[in-house]
Amino acid sequence: MANGKPVIVRFYRFKNRLKEKTAGLNPSGKVSLSAEAMEEAEKALSKMSEDYPDWVSGLVGKMQEQHGRCVDTPESRKECFEEIARIAHDMKGQGGTFGYPLITAFSDSLYGFTQIKGDIEDAVVELVKAHIDAMRAVIRGRVAGSGGDIGKSLTEGLNEAIAKYST
Amino acid sequence: MSNYDFDRVSVLLVDDSPFIRSLIANSLKVLGVGNVYAVEHGGDAITFLQRVKNEPMKVGCQQIDIIVSNWDMHPIDGMMFLRWVRRHKDSPDRFVPFVMITSYTEPDRVMQAREMGVTEMLAKPFTVKSVGEKLVSIIERPRQFVHTKDYFGPDRRRQAIQMPDGRDRRVLTDKSEGVEIIRG
Repeated sequence: MANGKPVIVRFYRFKNRLKEKTAGLNPSGKVSLSAEAMEEAEKALSKMSEDYPDWVSGLVGKMQEQHGRCVDTPESRKECFEEIARIAHDMKGQGGTFGYPLITAFSDSLYGFTQIKGDIEDAVVELVKAHIDAMRAVIRGRVAGSGGDIGKSLTEGLNEAIAKYST
Repeated sequence: MSNYDFDRVSVLLVDDSPFIRSLIANSLKVLGVGNVYAVEHGGDAITFLQRVKNEPMKVGCQQIDIIVSNWDMHPIDGMMFLRWVRRHKDSPDRFVPFVMITSYTEPDRVMQAREMGVTEMLAKPFTVKSVGEKLVSIIERPRQFVHTKDYFGPDRRRQAIQMPDGRDRRVLTDKSEGVEIIRG
């Protein structure tokens, strides 16, 4: 600073170049997203959503492999759970975007059960299986949205399994 | 009322999920974004930004206008990448708007990203509409950048908040000693 006093805070105030770049000849006026473009983008998303069940079944398959390892080699459960947690976390973020909120809900629940610090008991491994089975059912039945009665019964079935193995 | 023209805008998209990457890239292109560069994780993103800085002609891009990055990636995650963008001496643009995509919406996580200088958070599962809204927010409501001894990033206050008794909670004003304002 000119007076030699130490600077405590600097505020950087720049021209809005991004607005100038995107608002064309009218940078100070009212500009909006093109409604047609938004509609096109929504359509593109719906089209991708058609492929989502096939894609996500690959991830569920990977979790199933990890579950198999948990059963066959109990000493490697910790690493398997880390991998399952990673996949569940990814799936949690995707399901709802593609119209499968049940996948998001089940992944969220599964992710919670994978956050174990100590020893991993057989009952928790069974809980992982219950989640994988519920997800498979959602994908196989293309249970989009809340899934109506099927969705309700899948959620109830999973909750029963959670109650059974959590006690 | 006119529409935004994103044709001259360049976005760097960082996500390790090919499906989500393709969804966001596709949505941005349909919304009219001229250049979308998609990479897999923070390490690739850093390499890409360094290339843009050192050999823009070769990359075909002078500058990245917006970064959209997932948080949870391996081996370099979104937070490490954000830290590099905001603080590293090799960062080509420490002021670039940075949108963090995340399933972690717990308040302490959001706080962590805010303290690291994130511009916007996009919570998963997201919609095309929410992607569009973040773009609009970045363009219409840019914030001044603040540099103190503990923080560098967009002003964490979006509004001028006053205490109920009318006092301004902010201790320093533009005229205070120790405040420097840089315009550009």
